[in-house]
Amino acid sequence: MNLRYLTKELRYRKRRTLTATLSLAVGIAILITINALSMAYNEAARVPLKEIGADITVQRAGNVPEDLTGPVFACSAVTIQKDEVEQIRKLSGIQGFGQALLVWVFDADRFTIVLGLDPDNPVGPGILRAHMTEGRFLEKGQAQALVEASYAKNFGIQTGDSVTVAGKTYPVAGIVDASRAAKIAVAHIYLPIAEVQKMAASSKQVQAVSPFGPEDANILFIKAKPGQIDALADSIKGILGGKASVATPASFLKRLGNLFALSDKFTLVTSLIAIIVTVLIVLKTMAGNLTERAGEIGILKAVGWSNSNVVGQLVGESVLQCFLGGILGLVLSLLAAWALGFMEVNIPIPWEMSPTPHFLPGGGDPIFKTLTLPVHISWRLALFAITLSMLIGGVAGGGLSRHISRIKPSEVLRHE
Amino acid sequence: MNNHPILSATDLNKSFDSLQVVRGVTFNMEKGEFVSIVGKSGSGKTTLLSLLSGLERPSGGRITLDGTEITGSSENELALFRRETVGFIFQSFQLIPTLSAWENVALPLFPVKMLAEKRRKGALELLRQMKMEHRADHRPGALSGGEKQRVAIARALVNSPKIVFADEPTGNLDSETGVAIMDILKRLHRENGMTMLMVTHDLDLAGSADRIIRMQDGEVVS
Repeated sequence: MNLRYLTKELRYRKRRTLTATLSLAVGIAILITINALSMAYNEAARVPLKEIGADITVQRAGNVPEDLTGPVFACSAVTIQKDEVEQIRKLSGIQGFGQALLVWVFDADRFTIVLGLDPDNPVGPGILRAHMTEGRFLEKGQAQALVEASYAKNFGIQTGDSVTVAGKTYPVAGIVDASRAAKIAVAHIYLPIAEVQKMAASSKQVQAVSPFGPEDANILFIKAKPGQIDALADSIKGILGGKASVATPASFLKRLGNLFALSDKFTLVTSLIAIIVTVLIVLKTMAGNLTERAGEIGILKAVGWSNSNVVGQLVGESVLQCFLGGILGLVLSLLAAWALGFMEVNIPIPWEMSPTPHFLPGGGDPIFKTLTLPVHISWRLALFAITLSMLIGGVAGGGLSRHISRIKPSEVLRHE
Repeated sequence: MNNHPILSATDLNKSFDSLQVVRGVTFNMEKGEFVSIVGKSGSGKTTLLSLLSGLERPSGGRITLDGTEITGSSENELALFRRETVGFIFQSFQLIPTLSAWENVALPLFPVKMLAEKRRKGALELLRQMKMEHRADHRPGALSGGEKQRVAIARALVNSPKIVFADEPTGNLDSETGVAIMDILKRLHRENGMTMLMVTHDLDLAGSADRIIRMQDGEVVS
């Protein structure tokens, strides 16, 4: 293959080069963009759980509390017993594990959503450590409280004050702004989980609806090893039974209802169609070009180029042409990704994951996590697309030039 | 001139379907000889040149070129043989339009493993001999017919061939330019001892050769 000859052919046969290169570029751009969009929706679906440091959250549905006084459980998050927690914790494929306890507290003067958490565990609401606006985070073994910023503002609570929950007073260690973080497992007041476990275990209203032991929980947070999320979700459902509510990125993806989100098959089929159409266009363009160049190929053979010399040259041309098409396609898809990056996506949070009682004003409103679509093109996708472009060039060029290289120079020159 | 034939054809035949274009041609050519093949259009002279140069396979007979019988050679063996042994000059120049003059001259050497600079220098030297060095970087589209043919002659010589085959080398040129091209070919024969087989329908041009072979209806008649 002679590089000088190759580059001059591409440079001085602009129409031919542009047709093949642009056809391929459009196909590759569609392929990359569709896949980037699909990955973006997948990534977006991970966000609500990622914000709470988990890949999976687990709750169990139960009965509606009959008496709304003191601490009660939401019907969407009743007891998960200690032995069940331990069974789940021991499942293979778990990288990190956290638990929490969500309680609604109906005191005489106010309603409070209380979340008991493990302050030192980054899997679960412990991740809120990063969203403190004043004071300090909870410390294990200390009966102190964190107050959510908007709740603190409503009731004029500051760090150093104290809050009373279900008859027990806690000093306020700090203020946290959870609204900037998660949409799930948020509360008005955060306490160490042991405090809330004591509170729930001693509540007649809780025990009446869902018997609760002092080491039980009602929300679990799981960080899974790569590729283990779905298998873990199935195992957890097996342990907790039919009333288990297991949220995963896939369950959020389903709620998005978008074609890209709904089906990997859609992405695959669309990508395949884009590639097949592109290959056909490239083949047609190249076949036309080679037919036009039959005379030139005859000259090459007449002056001593062998079949393999001719094939090597033509394959080199088509590979380079398709490589340029791939690069251009990548640039086009980067522009498309940039434009799509302005798109906002609303991820619906399931009602059962909303901590607010639905019977309170605004409690039944749908909750969405709104974010700009995280469209970006991974280097793997880019590399795949460029490699695919070159492969198309190699296969198309190889197939076509193998045929035309068999042309006899005398046949071509006789017609000159 | 010595007595060893550089080119020998024995009972050469060529048919396209039922049409017999070359009939029983037997022909020898000595090293350093300049031979013209003349004949009317359709007499089979270009087909004979294609057979003798290894561009075309005969339907029957034998051809020995530079001591090698090429009749049974494969396509690739013939290509290599042409690259190493033969130079071609065509009526319509047959230059590659995207390549510059010097690159067209170097075209037969592109598949040969050698330093690119050596290849370029060799091509430029031949263009200098053709008084075309000032047009070395021009593409064929910017050259006149005579200039194109001089580039084509340089290309025919770049591989130091044992024999040059020229098919109507002045056929697409005006008479003045044609004479100039013939002068170059005669000079190559006279000064360099180049063996040359030229096909032409012009008897005046054929007169420049050492020997004239006349063809009619596919047969050598004299």
